[in-house]
Amino acid sequence: MLPRRILQFLIIYCLFIGTLMLVKYGLRLSDYVIPAPAAIFQTLLAEYRQYTLATMNTLTVAVVGQVLSVILAFAIGIVGRRSTWFGSFIKVAAYNIQAYPIVALAPILFILLGDGFLTRLLIAAMICYFPVLLSVLGIMSKPVEDIEHFYRATGKMRWQLEVKIRAFENLSQLTTVISGSATLAMAGTIVAEFIAADAGIGYSIRIALYQSDLGKIVIALFLIGITIAAYQGLLELLGSAVKRAWTGNALS
Amino acid sequence: MKNGTEKRVLAAWLLLVAILWRSSALAADKVTYRLKWLYNVSVVGALYAQTHHLFERAGLTVEVKSGGPERDAIRELELGYADFGAASADQVLRARAKGSPVVVIAQLFQVNPLQWLYRPAEVRIGKLADLKGKVIGVTYGGNDETIMRTLLGKGGITTGEVDLFSVRFDYTPFYRHRVQLWPVYRNAQGPMISDQLAKAGEATAYFNPADFGVRFVANSVVTEARTLEEKPELVQRFLAALLAGWQQALDPKNEEEAIKTLQQFDPDTSSRPILAEQLRITRELVQPTPGFAIGTIDHQAWEQTEKIMLGQKQLSRQVDLKAVLKPIAVLSGR
Repeated sequence: MLPRRILQFLIIYCLFIGTLMLVKYGLRLSDYVIPAPAAIFQTLLAEYRQYTLATMNTLTVAVVGQVLSVILAFAIGIVGRRSTWFGSFIKVAAYNIQAYPIVALAPILFILLGDGFLTRLLIAAMICYFPVLLSVLGIMSKPVEDIEHFYRATGKMRWQLEVKIRAFENLSQLTTVISGSATLAMAGTIVAEFIAADAGIGYSIRIALYQSDLGKIVIALFLIGITIAAYQGLLELLGSAVKRAWTGNALS
Repeated sequence: MKNGTEKRVLAAWLLLVAILWRSSALAADKVTYRLKWLYNVSVVGALYAQTHHLFERAGLTVEVKSGGPERDAIRELELGYADFGAASADQVLRARAKGSPVVVIAQLFQVNPLQWLYRPAEVRIGKLADLKGKVIGVTYGGNDETIMRTLLGKGGITTGEVDLFSVRFDYTPFYRHRVQLWPVYRNAQGPMISDQLAKAGEATAYFNPADFGVRFVANSVVTEARTLEEKPELVQRFLAALLAGWQQALDPKNEEEAIKTLQQFDPDTSSRPILAEQLRITRELVQPTPGFAIGTIDHQAWEQTEKIMLGQKQLSRQVDLKAVLKPIAVLSGR
């Protein structure tokens, strides 16, 4: 799963670079508009250490933000799964808050909380929290009638059992949602860094843009892409392991 | 009968061709001018030329496009999206060092509007050594970082002796006194922030690098070398109209007209006194003395800018300034 993810990313990246080079040499553009392969390689050699550290910094924030948002989304999703006023309120709030672009909210957060770790974390969590919440709400509010009916009829249904049944029956969907939210968390962190932070790969991209250095941006995109591919691959592996373990327990 | 119809059809075709030829001969040349930043006082000359039909009178239909952080006029010239643009000297030098065929045909700002705002009640800067121990805002990767590092080097101050603070779009750290010197565009943001602080009873002053011998060139008018070679007359007409726009917009006699133009394009800066102040400061930066020819290229300042960038390893190689700086003799419209 992991090697496949990385291979897929490398194919996409090579296609991207190939297209850039076609445009560059087809239109005879200077290295200022699109850097030559040699210039990109030189930039890679010069910047890989600093950019890798910056990407790891971003990934750390993204992972923590994702974990927090997934925990919170599950907690709220489980509470709000019933067709009650509170459940409906949570859904409406989630849809509304998701509609606000983060670039509009970020400046307010930076003014209130400063440009440190906390703001980046909050933005990363906000970006991936709402899609996860809506998915969890969707999954948790849909009864698995043929199984739940038995427990209800026998009077043994408890809320924990209900959650367990629904999670088990939709495990693949939940794994996909969590894995997909990794991209959102990473994107959220990068947006936060780009807007106002003073660390991370988003911040490095902002500096590269100030310097009109497309070579650095191409390197940053490579590092971001490969990091997300590897992280998502690991999450999928983890999801498979959980599924195997759970299925095994259920069968035994 | 058939012969007569054919003659009429032929005559109609000839008439149509003549009309098309005539209208194409009369049609103005269409050009696109990409600004460096959003519509504000720093581009008042172009806006004035546009609204007061100076481009039209020069036989040009000019689309003046606003710039922004994600826009790069030099790239657009090469990609054919723009014919002329405004770019800062560091952009031009970086582009040339990477093989871009960009040339500078006029220099708009004679004094760089990028300066540092401070409170004279808290900070006194009589000499560069006074910067020691101060918390100074810089945009990492931006011109202000380059300029500040040059000033520190010139003053014999190491980066460990000052606290460089990464700035962003909001001024809260300066308002809260966390940062003592904050980089602003003296003509655009300066009057607005000074006005806000004045309302709070705080006086402001500006630290101008040029006063300490650092003349880092700001915005210039650029085009592609090929455009200059192949269409020198078009370049001349465009530049004459643009510089006439600047001349008229900065003429104190036309202040009301210039303010009206700014209000039309920059409605967010609605306060008339602030617009008047912005215009006054811009006049000093673009035309330092009344008779000064707007657009004059300051070769020495360009040499210094290149030297600074080479010193800070922002340029991979030296650039042939003679090939970059191509001042155009503007004969009319001034």
